[in-house]
Amino acid sequence: METNNHSIETKNLSLWYGDFQALMDVSVNIPSGKITALIGPSGCGKTTLLRCFNRVNERYGNVTTKGEIKILGKNIYDPDVSLLELRKTVGMVFQRPNPLPISVYENILFGLRIHSPFGSLTRNQADEIVEEALTSVFLWDDLKDKLKARATSLQLEQQQKLCIARLLPLKPQIILMDEPCSALDAKGTLAVEELMGILAGKYTFLIVTHNMAQARRVSTECIYMFLGELIEHRETQALFETPEHPKTADYVQMRYG
Amino acid sequence: MNRSELIIQIIALATLTIACVLVWVVTTEVFHVEGEILSVPMGIDSGSDLIDRLYSMIPLLCVAMLLSIAFAFYIEEWLSETTWYYRIINQQISILANIPSLIYGILVICIFLFQVKEFLNFTLVLAIVFLVVPVIIRTTQSAIRGVDLSVREAAYALGANRWQVITDHVFPRAFPKITGGIFTVISRVLAIAALLIIVCELRTSIIQDVSSYEISSDVFVLISLALLSCVLSSFLQINRNS
Ligand SMILES: Nc1ncnc2c1ncn2[C@@H]1O[C@H](COP(=O)(O)OP(=O)(O)OP(=O)(O)O)[C@@H](O)[C@H]1O
Ligand SMILES: [Mg+2]
Repeated sequence: METNNHSIETKNLSLWYGDFQALMDVSVNIPSGKITALIGPSGCGKTTLLRCFNRVNERYGNVTTKGEIKILGKNIYDPDVSLLELRKTVGMVFQRPNPLPISVYENILFGLRIHSPFGSLTRNQADEIVEEALTSVFLWDDLKDKLKARATSLQLEQQQKLCIARLLPLKPQIILMDEPCSALDAKGTLAVEELMGILAGKYTFLIVTHNMAQARRVSTECIYMFLGELIEHRETQALFETPEHPKTADYVQMRYG
Repeated sequence: MNRSELIIQIIALATLTIACVLVWVVTTEVFHVEGEILSVPMGIDSGSDLIDRLYSMIPLLCVAMLLSIAFAFYIEEWLSETTWYYRIINQQISILANIPSLIYGILVICIFLFQVKEFLNFTLVLAIVFLVVPVIIRTTQSAIRGVDLSVREAAYALGANRWQVITDHVFPRAFPKITGGIFTVISRVLAIAALLIIVCELRTSIIQDVSSYEISSDVFVLISLALLSCVLSSFLQINRNS
């Protein structure tokens, strides 16, 4: 990691739920415009780490965080950081597709409506934004006649793509994904992976996955975590083929080899 | 049940009991209720007088409902579930919401027979408040909890603040169940009103002549309305998906 081109940098990040320590001294740099995968056994803190980056962890009471997190060079715990701006810059896609129970159209606009003053969006602008967002996730052709349909009535694959699409109008820099394909079938998984591949470069992706094949397919760098610690962070191919740490080797072999 | 839960239960019950005893002592001291049944005239001599009296309590009823809904949102959205005061309040509301409405009716009837005018007003108010507040809080709470967590997560992650999440998502999604709760309460209030009318008219006719007593048509109207609200309430509280 010679270049200085990192979207997310953490230094000695520790996190406690009550007195249970879920992250231990995690220092990591996530490269811009690439896909980084986060792997590790269940309960090792992948979701927790991910949720630090848009500060949604704070909503669960009793969370203490120590250390530094810089997003695009800015410490997100600085008092002058607005949560609104942070969540605009850092979008999140969840394990289970969770479109809001409103129309497809309004789902795409929800983020913008929160971030812009009431009524500042004309009908034409709105239409354009919706079309652009749906086009970039290849949903426009399927959904252009269903814009008024309830988003929760779509197929799961479409729902998950919609969840990605609704981030785009906010012009995020980073997209966090927590096992985004675990609720999808093989075809849906491939479609979402393909979409990530196309969108990478424009956005920085950080994806949690239990699927080693997926991590290998989509990511350029890969991070292995174990019991709240970052064990190894290298280029994906190197991590899978010549893991340096015995724990990584065990995990990778058990899950993949 | 573990020990801390038991302690919470006991504290909740004890504080409620103390509160009730206090109210009782203060009011009987203030109004000097004594056992002179069927003697002092009280200004409510027929069912329709009573209905007028109940009408005048509708604004109070509405205010009580709105405040209860607001309070339920406050405790669910702002207080953390792990704090001891949340747990005590929650327990107290459960206890109050589970008291059969008939008990409040019996209480009011007893006071009725003592027929002290100011005291009657006061008890009506108290009964209505006790009848309404816990049930509305309870149903609103469960309506709020029924809103899918993923909806909240999605909205928060898109940058919505607490108010936007509540007004844009939680409230609209909880609304049918909350109205369901309101109808439950209306049903309870109407049923008690019907009971009171019977007691009131019975009392008047005892003074005159028992054999001439006929149940007034108001009672039937109220009971049918109570049943209707009850049906509406269960209809509105059906769990609807998506
Ligand atoms: N809100 C919470 N309160 C208390 N403990 C929590 C909370 N969320 C997570 N934990 C604990 O923190 C640890 C890490 O959890 P986390 O969800 O980050 O793991 P994960 O790596 O995402 O696991 P999985 O692969 O199963 O999703 C676990 O031991 C979990 O029990
Ligand atoms: Mg997880």
